[in-house]
Amino acid sequence: MSVTWTRRKRSLLRFWADYRGHKAGVVGLAVLLVAVLLALIAPLFIDAGVTNVVRGTGEKLAPPSWDAPLGTDESGRSVLLMVWWGSRTSLLIGFLAALLSMVIGTVLGIVAGHFRGWIGAVVLRVTDWFLVLPSLVTALVLAAILGGSTTTIIVAIGVTSWPSTARLIRAQTLAVEARPYIERSTALGGGHWHITTRHVLPNVAPLLLASTTLEVASAIVTESTLAFLGISANKTSWGTMLRGSYDWGAATSGAWWYILVPGLCIVTVVMAFTLCGRALETVLNPRLRSAR
Amino acid sequence: MRKLFAGLAAVVLLAVGTAPAQAAEPGKPKVVRVGATQAMDSMNPFLAVRLVSSSIHRWMYGFLTVPDAKTLQPSPDLAESWTTSPDGLTWTFKIRQTNWSDGQPLTAEDAAWTFNKMMTDDGAKTANGPAVENFASVSASGQDLTIKLKSPQASMLDNPVPIMPKHVWEKVGDIAKYDAETYPAVTSGPYIAVEHKKDQYVKLKANPGYWRGAPKIDELQMIFYDNPAAAVVGLKKGDIDLLGRLAPPDFEALKGDGNIVQWNQQGRRATYLQINHGATTSDNKPIGDGHPALKDPKVRQALHLAIDKQKLVDEVQNGLAKPADGSIVPPMYKDFFWQAEGEEKISFDVAKANQILDAAGYKKGADGIRTMPDGSRKLQFRFSIHTDTPIEDKLAEYLTGWFKDLGIALTTKRLDSSKFTEETGTTALFDIAISGWSVNPDPEEVLATHLCSRRPTASGEGGGTESFYCDPQYEQLYQQQLKELDRTKRAGIIKQMLERLYTDAPVIALYYPNDLEGYRKDRIASITPIPEDNGILYGGSGYWPFYTVEAVTTDTAETGGSNTGVIVGAGIGVIVLAGVAFFLVRRRGGVADDRE
Repeated sequence: MSVTWTRRKRSLLRFWADYRGHKAGVVGLAVLLVAVLLALIAPLFIDAGVTNVVRGTGEKLAPPSWDAPLGTDESGRSVLLMVWWGSRTSLLIGFLAALLSMVIGTVLGIVAGHFRGWIGAVVLRVTDWFLVLPSLVTALVLAAILGGSTTTIIVAIGVTSWPSTARLIRAQTLAVEARPYIERSTALGGGHWHITTRHVLPNVAPLLLASTTLEVASAIVTESTLAFLGISANKTSWGTMLRGSYDWGAATSGAWWYILVPGLCIVTVVMAFTLCGRALETVLNPRLRSAR
Repeated sequence: MRKLFAGLAAVVLLAVGTAPAQAAEPGKPKVVRVGATQAMDSMNPFLAVRLVSSSIHRWMYGFLTVPDAKTLQPSPDLAESWTTSPDGLTWTFKIRQTNWSDGQPLTAEDAAWTFNKMMTDDGAKTANGPAVENFASVSASGQDLTIKLKSPQASMLDNPVPIMPKHVWEKVGDIAKYDAETYPAVTSGPYIAVEHKKDQYVKLKANPGYWRGAPKIDELQMIFYDNPAAAVVGLKKGDIDLLGRLAPPDFEALKGDGNIVQWNQQGRRATYLQINHGATTSDNKPIGDGHPALKDPKVRQALHLAIDKQKLVDEVQNGLAKPADGSIVPPMYKDFFWQAEGEEKISFDVAKANQILDAAGYKKGADGIRTMPDGSRKLQFRFSIHTDTPIEDKLAEYLTGWFKDLGIALTTKRLDSSKFTEETGTTALFDIAISGWSVNPDPEEVLATHLCSRRPTASGEGGGTESFYCDPQYEQLYQQQLKELDRTKRAGIIKQMLERLYTDAPVIALYYPNDLEGYRKDRIASITPIPEDNGILYGGSGYWPFYTVEAVTTDTAETGGSNTGVIVGAGIGVIVLAGVAFFLVRRRGGVADDRE
């Protein structure tokens, strides 16, 4: 027990030392931690009431002032508070959709890589089929059919974005299963379940972490896109704010704060996720590591 | 691919066709161009249902009667005069001595043919079928048209059917498949359609032989746009001269342009909430999944009390509407308009609404949401709106906020328009839905949308109900007003019906949106709305605005030098347009292919 723990601790420390070497990755991580922390502590200071139009008492589309440091929207709500509260929806959908996509992608990727026969072929073809589907259109249609709620948006994004993960995992599974110790394990009587969960999964996990981090970024962008196109979870998110600024002519009335603030939030968080993901990839992907 | 070139060629033709017109010398034809964000569904008046189509047909064809420009009461059009038998079942119209635009005389034969066609051919009923439902027989002798009715009908003088030339239309085989794309059209109204390019424009020439006298302009064009934003830019740039039916943000975008007159007058529309108060089919079987709490009039009344209509007008409609203290007939129709006063009037009062719900036994739970008195269900309602309608989205946000103070959770459900129509009109899969109606000078049709008989049949055939309402008192009043030929007495009965709708609240009127339009005063010298004192330009219930429109004569401002510039500009415009059209057509082709 203690031996494994020391080993794990050592490898974790080694990983952190490697990661620290990537300046951009550290910056991204810091930004992310701040964003997530802010989203988590938001209920201590404000509540969903800040997005309630009935409570919007400010002037419409007022420029930044002491009362509303980042201006107000078309119903007199503070853009700052809305962005703060909206980050909860955006991040939640981003994380959960990425998680869903990761789970589907991992299971199908390992299945496709492990079972080489017709099962693998079928799974692979299905993956390819999903890969060539225009994912935004599919997500739009799905969300429209399922109706607008947080869950349906997560499902719509999740089920359209897994194929690339599956492809990646399958390739890694093939590589892992070509190693001699897998053959040894099979010889010792290891079944499919043992091999996939005990040997393949731990080996693809690092890659998966990096890929998921990048997936969160794209899920946040997809959520904003869907919201901008009119498919939202009926909750304030950065995407619905952008949509509102477009609907209510913020650009023509010169309300730059209404467009810029949620837009910059999306850019910052997505950038942070991307930086982290890239850094993780470089640290964890054996191929990239050896190339360094 | 062929489609692509056809589209491209059409656009180039359009550009070439319109560009020289702008640069022409004084004495050039006076053209007024109207923008629309809807395209024609059909040039065949028996089939066309869209507002844009019925407007164009209104400019082309005569009707039995036309609403008076001042009072909106029925006044003579093709029918010079009329008489009614004492039992109200036989109507005799004297048809005016005039000619069709091809020189043939117009007789009662034409009118009789039009109505008989609609009565005998189901294909011809598409557009205005209900208008002849009550007709027993129609016959003609010379200029006399006799219509026998099955039962008395007070709205006879608001007949929406354009009279068609028999000698042209009787040659048509299958009317349901006929697109009427033969030009010039044979008409009896102020204009003659001479050209139609699908999704692009319709051109109408003035009818020189029109019995009221030819219009004051030579040509009227209707230009179609894909979306309101493009049409607003078109108006600002001067590609069109008039644009009607604007949304408040688009209307405000016209502010500050010295050449554009912002037209903000009372409208003919009412916006209201439709409440699923226990929907049933026409054989009184429950249908749909409406929330049981909404069957309770007290809950409906509480909802009504919790809506601050003035705030909705200010915030959702940018102040460009009138809060509704009445029902579904807007104040434009002074004769029939009713509004609540005194005790009966429901004003925004959340505390009172909460009291009503408390007293009725809807207790608040720990999460602040009320439950049914028997504790079976929480008061969580769905609010169905259309996709891509910022105004309805904003409305939903406000209702959600107010209802939350009542302990009622409201979630918004966005549906595309065909699904919306199905769920709120046939299958009743809704709790509360947005609704609205553009009311005609005779409100019979909008009143009929709340009749028992309009509910869907057991097999799910839609009957055109707007509320699934079925109320004996309302039915009885409706039958009474049908038979009442005295306008004042009939208006009294109609007001009672509106009062019933207000107090029973199967629908809750929110506001009457203003009629928002814009026109270029450097192109249009004068235009008279309908009704004349405070009314509508485009989409009104008569041809008056576009019959009386006067164009600005251009011999004042333009000098010879500018022509070259205009021509060069037009040339560049053609090239740019062609390029844009190329991509648009290609893109649209792509989408069309996707759908197949």
